[in-house]
Amino acid sequence: MSVLSVKDLSISYQTDSGPLQALRGVSFDIDDNNIVGIVGESGCGKSTLIGSIIKLLDNNAIVEKGEIFFQDKNIISLSDDDMKDILGVDISVIFQDPMQAHNPVLTIGQQMIDIQYRDKKSKKQKQNHAIEMLQLVGMPDPESRIYQYPHEFSGGMRQRIAIAMALMVKPALLIADEPTTALDATLEVQIIQKLKELQKNIHCSILFVSHHLGVIAELCDEVIVMYAGEIVESGSVRDIFHRPKHPYTQALFACDPGRILEKSKELPTIEGEIPNLINLPKGCIFKDRCSQRIDRCDDEIPSTHQIKNTHMAKCHLLAREQK
Amino acid sequence: MKKNSELQIIFKHLMRDPLGMIGFFIVMIIFLSAIFADWLVPYDPIQLNIKDRLQGPSWSHLLGADQLGRDTFSRMIMGGRVALQVALPTIFGAVSIGLILGMIAGFGPRWLDNIIILFFDTLRSFPTVMFALAVVALVGPSLSTVVFIIIATSIPTYGRVVRTQTLSIKSSEFILAEKSMGASTVRILRVHVLPNILGPIAVLVAMDIPTIIGLEAGLSFLGMGVRPPTPSWGVLLNDGYSLIRNTPWLIIAGGIPLILTTLGFTFLGESLRDVIDPKLRGKKR
Amino acid sequence: MTPLLKVENVVVRFPLQGSFIQSLGFGSASLIEAVAGVSFTLKEGQTYAIVGESGSGKTTLARAIAGLHHADEGSIQYKGNELCQLPEKGFKKYRKDISMIFQDPFGCLSPRLSIKSIITEPFQIQKMKDKDLDAEAKRLLSMVGLPADFATRYPYQLSGGQARRVGVARALSLNPKLIIADEPTAGLDVSIQGELLNLLVKLQNDIGLSFVVISHNLNIVKHISDKMGIMYLGRFVEEGLTDEIFKHPKHPYTFSLLSASPEPDPDAKIDRVELLGDPPSIMHRPKGCEFHTRCPFVKEKCKIEIPKIVYPEQSQAYSCHYSL
Repeated sequence: MSVLSVKDLSISYQTDSGPLQALRGVSFDIDDNNIVGIVGESGCGKSTLIGSIIKLLDNNAIVEKGEIFFQDKNIISLSDDDMKDILGVDISVIFQDPMQAHNPVLTIGQQMIDIQYRDKKSKKQKQNHAIEMLQLVGMPDPESRIYQYPHEFSGGMRQRIAIAMALMVKPALLIADEPTTALDATLEVQIIQKLKELQKNIHCSILFVSHHLGVIAELCDEVIVMYAGEIVESGSVRDIFHRPKHPYTQALFACDPGRILEKSKELPTIEGEIPNLINLPKGCIFKDRCSQRIDRCDDEIPSTHQIKNTHMAKCHLLAREQK
Repeated sequence: MKKNSELQIIFKHLMRDPLGMIGFFIVMIIFLSAIFADWLVPYDPIQLNIKDRLQGPSWSHLLGADQLGRDTFSRMIMGGRVALQVALPTIFGAVSIGLILGMIAGFGPRWLDNIIILFFDTLRSFPTVMFALAVVALVGPSLSTVVFIIIATSIPTYGRVVRTQTLSIKSSEFILAEKSMGASTVRILRVHVLPNILGPIAVLVAMDIPTIIGLEAGLSFLGMGVRPPTPSWGVLLNDGYSLIRNTPWLIIAGGIPLILTTLGFTFLGESLRDVIDPKLRGKKR
Repeated sequence: MTPLLKVENVVVRFPLQGSFIQSLGFGSASLIEAVAGVSFTLKEGQTYAIVGESGSGKTTLARAIAGLHHADEGSIQYKGNELCQLPEKGFKKYRKDISMIFQDPFGCLSPRLSIKSIITEPFQIQKMKDKDLDAEAKRLLSMVGLPADFATRYPYQLSGGQARRVGVARALSLNPKLIIADEPTAGLDVSIQGELLNLLVKLQNDIGLSFVVISHNLNIVKHISDKMGIMYLGRFVEEGLTDEIFKHPKHPYTFSLLSASPEPDPDAKIDRVELLGDPPSIMHRPKGCEFHTRCPFVKEKCKIEIPKIVYPEQSQAYSCHYSL
């Protein structure tokens, strides 16, 4: 049973120089109780993807085609009012910058009580629920700290409060957009551990976006690799990390300094830049930076090849293999 | 090269905004009529012509004549020049002083900032009309008196905006980078702070010009501004006020241009503001 | 051989926001020590990494070395010349030798200036009127691997990696000997981090540059630094050769930092040393060993007694009562 099902989603932005094709043919599912990670670098389209799921895209965005099914509703055709009934109830979001995630003039307690406005509980009950959640995320002494203001907390604490607020409503889907990127490594691991525990407790699904490979490997069950608006590879976390098949995924892993165990003074990189998304090149989107390019890549867009079970990649080289 | 493309961007944006275009045209008309007033006026605006007094509109006097036979149309056109003669030096003076004081306040040491703010607040606390009365009583009314009064009361407005903008830039990393290269404070203010704060100032100026023109008209209306026979829209309004039963055209000749000027500059200013903001947003990535 | 850079017991203090009276110069506001006594040396042609998390004081230390903050105590010697307490006039000649690369690739570039103006700014500041700025801009751009036509572009037209390289080009303009790089890979995608680091290493090999690199990313530090210092609450808790520290960390904080990077391998079993709680604020420094509030191996002695600095080797140092 899928909590979220994205089918063939294509979104472009209107610009002065023509339509910028930010997402092209993106399809994936998030099952119940699963943590799905999206790995991608700048320009891969993950912000657009998240924006389309929560219906907060820029004014100049056009959904060219595709559907996003959340439980059984198509988000694309949902009205803004109906979307408001879902956001903050069934779908929660955590963003990257914990320093700006909260209203600076309200206490944490007030904010955590406010977001329970749909519940018909008494204020005391709402407060207790807030305290419970703060304990769950590992905040010491929550009974007195709910009277404090956001600026009295450190970045790591603020992110934990954001997680508490997001999970308070026991959503079916939690979307986390680079939630640990702004935190130090020692805090990052704490937050990841907490997320793992909470996910087991609450049985929600998580869509976790990050460019930090280690975090994805530690947290996620399934992984999607995005490049310049397309999904180039997807599969279980072991498939992706142990047997990456797409040249971009392989190159990306090779670049991760954490993986390079021997000290080397020349670090691998991926030469070049992402292509212009207004004037899309013919053929494979990764061809100009691919070290394993063949002739076919120049003109033909590769189709998605199934490697095994849920492991898929969009590359011509796989067609050869399968033959 | 850069300045050209910036103007091009601004113009392109203006063309898309109908109100902006209207504002732009009105402002152009006012400037052109002020510059070419000497050729546009059918009569010398201060020339008396008693036998034509209080005539209604006709082919020889498009908007009629006032109680001394002076052509209303000519006085209206010349009034535009007077309005700009007040507005432009005032803006120049207020902006220059505001820029200097504001940048020093924003960038300099705390104690200097406190003193300058005290100065701004003191200036601001004088009600404009009382201040004008006092100055006029001391020096007598004239065009330069009006300019002086309005500069003095406008300095705090510009100064504060400049200060706020400077403060927000002061802690930017590129200012730190300049300091790390040993740039002097003057250089930093001139090359790095000033260009980045001119945008909001330009918008403020566009929105302020009608206010200043209105202030001049008000002061002249009260008899504290330009001395007769200099035609200003405020003087026309004053004359028209007492002659309203004889001819409504004086009030029209004084009031309509004021309204149009206010509308024109306001539309232009608002359109400019839209250009400045998203441009900045686009630049910060 | 005089080391290129010798930092000794540097202390940098900041006043907390005082009252209006204090801002006029009367009375003294309370002070916090962002850098509380740091020492290290850097030889020519080497790279020294200062590692720490937010609030450790590493950026303040970097800025003190670059002459952006006054060091309240201690000494910073460049080629034997004392830099501390130098007035700006005296420091100006060292600005040719010591330059800085900043953390935010876009934030450090003046938004309304062209790239050419930005990278030739040091020439203008130093009033070098006889320089052909166009030629210099071309030379600097090619040193960092950017095409010459970038000279007429503006910062908003660049990608993160390109903007970062413009910052490097600017830092190279006066032929410095020492570059201080504050988080050189922050904000860069993993696939292009290597590009920037390789560039820095190449510059070091080609023109003999020395670097002080500030980073919280140990993975980067491992590859490009010769020596490193781990900062906590304004002090080094461990210091020495990079290879040694990675193989045999002595201080619990070093150990937890090293184990904190999640492995990009879902099956990796990590012996993680998890720290307790949050970092304390420098306004309320813990008594005894300042790390004791978070140390998973804390003992009674740690809460009372400040550990002395231990020197197991000539180039190693750490401060802990019970090393690992």
